[in-house]
Amino acid sequence: MNKYFSVARLTWDETFVYRLNFVMWRVRAVLQILTLYFLWLALIPTGASLFGYDQSSMLTYILGTSLISSIVLSSRSYAVGDEINSGNLSNFLLRPINYFLYWFARDVGDKAMNIIFSIIELTVLFVILKPPLFIQTESFYLLLTFVAIVFALIMYFFFNFLLGLIGFWSPEVWAPRFIFIILLNFFAGGLFPLDILPKFIFSVFQSLPFTYLLYFPIKIYLGQLTIIEIFTGIMISLVWTLVLYIIVQYVWRKGLLVYTAQGR
Amino acid sequence: MSARSTQIALSSRFSAVIFVIGKLLRFAFFFFFLVIVISKTNTIAGYSFWQVIFFFATFNLIDTAAQLFMREVYRFRSYVVSGEFDYFLSKPLSPLFRTLLGGSDILDLPMLFLSIAFVVVAVVQMEAVSFVGVLLYLVLIVNAFLIGLSFHIMVVALGVLTTEIDNALWMYRDLTQMGRLPIDIYRQPLQGILTFAIPVGIMMTFPSKALMGLLSIQSVVIALLIGIILFYGSFKFWQHAIKHYSSASS
Repeated sequence: MNKYFSVARLTWDETFVYRLNFVMWRVRAVLQILTLYFLWLALIPTGASLFGYDQSSMLTYILGTSLISSIVLSSRSYAVGDEINSGNLSNFLLRPINYFLYWFARDVGDKAMNIIFSIIELTVLFVILKPPLFIQTESFYLLLTFVAIVFALIMYFFFNFLLGLIGFWSPEVWAPRFIFIILLNFFAGGLFPLDILPKFIFSVFQSLPFTYLLYFPIKIYLGQLTIIEIFTGIMISLVWTLVLYIIVQYVWRKGLLVYTAQGR
Repeated sequence: MSARSTQIALSSRFSAVIFVIGKLLRFAFFFFFLVIVISKTNTIAGYSFWQVIFFFATFNLIDTAAQLFMREVYRFRSYVVSGEFDYFLSKPLSPLFRTLLGGSDILDLPMLFLSIAFVVVAVVQMEAVSFVGVLLYLVLIVNAFLIGLSFHIMVVALGVLTTEIDNALWMYRDLTQMGRLPIDIYRQPLQGILTFAIPVGIMMTFPSKALMGLLSIQSVVIALLIGIILFYGSFKFWQHAIKHYSSASS
């Protein structure tokens, strides 16, 4: 286990080597938060409500999804496809290291750094903008939010890994990732709460895994889901996590059969 | 050069199709979001549905046109790092021209046509659009291209000095994204910063406001002055950068 901890720590240290890159990445994240924050502030004046959200709950949703996305969506495993294409995968196949755990450790190191910076940024924004935030005090909801986030980050890891495995069959690993990011931005609820959509569309979304990456955890935090809805959501997350795990394992094994270490 | 980059873009049909679909989806999703919101609120920051769509379509028109023509800027870092930029300097073609416009991206064309279509439909749907408004819109669109061009010149000049370009370029993209909707939604002092310090508002919001008759003639003059000053400043910065280019990586 120590070696994976070392990988996570090295990823953390690596971020400090490319400091400017990281700082700019975070500045970009702040700009994206500000755009959504002011849009919703313009749409929901103080005292008003829209789609069942008052100003406080909507701004908590927007800032909360930003924090959750820094936990769930920050990753390094996007580089798996390039590793396969360049033949670097061979190095890992020869070593006593689990390739999945290696990348998961890399993701954890990256997430740790992003979480810290995200908390600092949100604190600064909180001091400057003084938004009327909803603070959840019930430990029950906080615990379930945490559980939902853990499922979300595992699901996202499998998604990322699966997209990287395209590298076994094609050098064009970035085009599918591009479309995945666009779908994710819309379907995960980062732009708006998914329950503002017409009921039929929302019920379709609820069966997709994207809903459980951002929307579901923040809705638990806001206390806007019933106990049954929360446990149903966690069960769906669990099923999707298992399904994705099985698919990733299957594709990985198939991929290794066609892997030729091209580029080495 | 453009023909060559078009051939490269289309050489991988799978990626080309995916990228085009992705761009169209991104447009469609945000459009859908606006439809959902305005179906409840009727307005955003006081603007009607078609006015908001007009702002959004104009943003896409300017943003896409800049990417279509100046895609080469996204590859500029590799030219500097690999030393290939030295060849640009030794050829009888302006290195700035080669750097900015040396590789247009044909994959942005469908988005450009879609944006123009939405601009036209929104104008038809909006009432009381005057000839002067249309004229000022076109002038300010050209001014927006000039500001976009200036930003790209500054980015490549920075690339020559520091070999760092990607972050500056994506920062520019994120800042301009704040102009997807009228900058009136932002509160002061952010609105002021986005208008004058980082002229995203002049670039993305002013043309549409001019067409709607919501922009004073003083604002139009200030917008044009800022466009010209930015272009002149960016050109001077490029000249400064090129004088200090050390060709260290080649």
